[in-house]
Amino acid sequence: MIRLVLWRLAQLPLVLLAVYTLTFVLAWLIPGSPLEKSEGRRPPVEVQAAMESRYNLDDPWTFYWSYLDQATGVAWIAGDRDGPVFNFGPSLRHENWSVNEILAGQLPVSMTVGLAAIALAIVLGVIAGVIGGLRPGTHLDLVTHTLSVIGVSIPAFVVGTVLLLAGGVWTGLFPVGGWGSFSHIVLPATALSLPFAAYIARLTRTGVIDTMQSDHVRTARAKGLPDRTVVLRHVLPNALLPVVSYLGPATAAAMTGSFVIEKVFAIPGLGMHFVDAVLGKDLTMIMGVVLVYATLLVLMNLLVDVLYAWLDPRVRTARGT
Amino acid sequence: MIRLLIPLLLLVLVLIVLHEFDDPAPPADFVFASENEVFTLDPQRMSWLADMRLGYGLFEGLTAWNTNDFSMRGALASSWDTSDDGLVWTFHLRPDARWSNDDPVTAHDVRWSWRRLLLPDTAADYSNLLFPVKGAKAFWQWRSDQLAGATPPDPDAIDDAFDTMVALVAQDDHTLRIELERPVPWLADQLAFAPLLPVHRPTVEGWPDSIDTSDGWHTVEPPPWPDRDFVNIDPDTGRLEQSPLWARPDTWVSNGPYVLTHWRYRRDIRLAANPEYHGANGDMPQSVLVRSYPDPNTALLAFASGEVDWLTGVSADCRTDLLTERAQGTRDDVHARPAFGTDYFLFNCRPTLPDGRINPFADPRVRQAFALATDKQAIVDHVTRLAEPVTGAFTPAESIPGYTPPAGLGYDVEQADALLTQAGWIDRDADGVREDADGRPFPTVDLLYTTSSARFRRMAAALRDQWKRSLGVDAQLVGQDSKFFGADRRAGNFMVARGRWYGDWGDPTTFLNMCRSTNGNNDSGLRSDQFDAAMHAADIATDPADRMAKLTLAEQVLMEHEVPLLPICQVVEVTMFDPGRFDGMTAHPRLVQYLHEVRPREEGP
Repeated sequence: MIRLVLWRLAQLPLVLLAVYTLTFVLAWLIPGSPLEKSEGRRPPVEVQAAMESRYNLDDPWTFYWSYLDQATGVAWIAGDRDGPVFNFGPSLRHENWSVNEILAGQLPVSMTVGLAAIALAIVLGVIAGVIGGLRPGTHLDLVTHTLSVIGVSIPAFVVGTVLLLAGGVWTGLFPVGGWGSFSHIVLPATALSLPFAAYIARLTRTGVIDTMQSDHVRTARAKGLPDRTVVLRHVLPNALLPVVSYLGPATAAAMTGSFVIEKVFAIPGLGMHFVDAVLGKDLTMIMGVVLVYATLLVLMNLLVDVLYAWLDPRVRTARGT
Repeated sequence: MIRLLIPLLLLVLVLIVLHEFDDPAPPADFVFASENEVFTLDPQRMSWLADMRLGYGLFEGLTAWNTNDFSMRGALASSWDTSDDGLVWTFHLRPDARWSNDDPVTAHDVRWSWRRLLLPDTAADYSNLLFPVKGAKAFWQWRSDQLAGATPPDPDAIDDAFDTMVALVAQDDHTLRIELERPVPWLADQLAFAPLLPVHRPTVEGWPDSIDTSDGWHTVEPPPWPDRDFVNIDPDTGRLEQSPLWARPDTWVSNGPYVLTHWRYRRDIRLAANPEYHGANGDMPQSVLVRSYPDPNTALLAFASGEVDWLTGVSADCRTDLLTERAQGTRDDVHARPAFGTDYFLFNCRPTLPDGRINPFADPRVRQAFALATDKQAIVDHVTRLAEPVTGAFTPAESIPGYTPPAGLGYDVEQADALLTQAGWIDRDADGVREDADGRPFPTVDLLYTTSSARFRRMAAALRDQWKRSLGVDAQLVGQDSKFFGADRRAGNFMVARGRWYGDWGDPTTFLNMCRSTNGNNDSGLRSDQFDAAMHAADIATDPADRMAKLTLAEQVLMEHEVPLLPICQVVEVTMFDPGRFDGMTAHPRLVQYLHEVRPREEGP
């Protein structure tokens, strides 16, 4: 287990370098300059040129290395202690903010919504899956199944707008968009959770049906254990293993921010602003977000692997821990 | 089973931690949703309406507008005198004006802020606003040359150069004398504009707290450069690198009705009444919250639920429906207002396109013909549907006191046909296609628009259909993302391209300068000696009425003969607020809303 963790951590710098290089090439190819405004007045040519040279926008090679130097903390270790350890520089489009500040402000928001959505999705999905899986083919199964298909298929902006109308404008139960209190989380987390909940429901249902037919469940029932104990102690732990392995990528996907959800609910998260950064060719912002996301993804996957090993008795005993 | 619950518990735990970490902004007296996000609160760096709106709340310039008719009044300056030749303006500053840290606001503050605007180091979009001041352009050029030189210049040389070159003198703490190169009758109007708002030097440069500036910073010796937190000197170029970090709540100092108390990136900005402001009163909103809604439909829902008091812009999807409801009398909270801007399509006046193709629009008669073949009223009635006033002129009507724009070209298909024929584009072989004398068919017109809004696509499609019908010319729509669009438009890589221009100051030059041969925003490539001469004649006119008449003539030359652009209509802004709850909202086309002039009404029964 420890070997696995160390091995993954050793890979991290290589993964990041590859991601950084690829993203840099693609981002550099975006036409235009982040310093120019698409419409309206332009600063004098000399001013523009001076700004470009200040941010190394006239030389991809210098930009690539100096940014890498600052962002990875090498510059800090080497003695340039003006900025933070991992210095992603100023945002080129939003000159009043450093990318570090933006990440510090936005990432927790995206993470909160994402985690809340996943928590909700687990509860909804597992309940629906168990109901369907225990009574396959009944009306109840059909209902949960239909609901999960709907959950996957309706686009987020429709769900979001309907939730805002119903929960915000008509009933006044929840605020219409924005951020800052627990009630702000409810609607976006619900909207974001639906597709995940639907998928978890289907995984759970299949898992429950399979496990119900397995030998150890038949034995448990033959012993005369009540249904509730059989399901909780013997069926669910096995049936939910596929759900756990799905949770890794799902949590990462939910946490890195949904462009549509963030936009519809006016949540100051990273997903939307990352898209804007790409459209505006905000190089420092693009590179900073990509590096942080990549790190986060690698760590999330690692966490899920550890969790999985700990949950699954077969994996545990096989490793002899 | 417990093991299974643990991931879920972990999730909930992280959620709680993340949530406790957050710090919600308290409610405010006046909440508005800005249709565009705020980029900067540094006046000299401002170039967007959303930024300037807050700028006017946070800072006070020498003059201010009466927002009902856009006449001028004193603000930081209580009065001013003008010499008979219009070249020397003397502003008398209020002696009781204070910065929010209790320092006095002096003529030195204004002078230093304008110097900051002029320095190429600041990279301000609006440096050229000050070029009419005697010596200002020379100073800008001097500094640009210095920065371009091989050896890094001495930053302290700026002081001497500015003192000797620029005719901007603080005669005493409260008197500022401005000498101009040539008369600028609209100077008072221009001085109210956001980039000319004064800033507090010790704050902007980040002077150490140990320096006592309570008699004004000009009475003390500035700290050495390395002691100033927010300005660095680039060792390679000698450029002053100014950090924007002073414009934050914890370091904030300003002289306007409000001070900044919260600012979170793309989330919210909160202002609180500035107790040091000379005009402080209890009637204005004591706190203002600006919320950011990236999706205009959500902003509309937030308005509907009462969370937002004022929507500065309304989602394009809903404008027409809301205005219909207003016309039917079922709602009174939506307001359509003609703005200080013009929607237009630009003709490429260059002889050839960058790819070598001939450009039929190089001939002014062709441009006139296309303008005459456009039924603007039909576009407004059936395509944009906001009842915009159609226009043949570039400068919006009734927006500048004393100025009457020319009529421009109307809708006249016969004349359009005659002009195209005159220009040599005739259907020579009766195949329904116009050819020139060499038998080359009229090329398909590239009609560029930005895909950012359906409005422009629909307008472009209407033009294509109208030109096909009335001139028999084919056009193809080229929709582009704004980055590509901007690059192509600047490079002249188009035949016709959409555009929108908002005026900055209360004078027709704010529109007409764009078409001068030497202007950096002249994307049409027009080089018109006749128009340049007409503008020059207005430049040197001394009598204000005569000058305005000359500008009308210049715009007539532009819009009826040269026609580098086809104006469609005045921009209409749609905003929402409940007139029963708030008073003091401006309806003038310049659309400057001073936040401290908003008056919340007592809630009725």
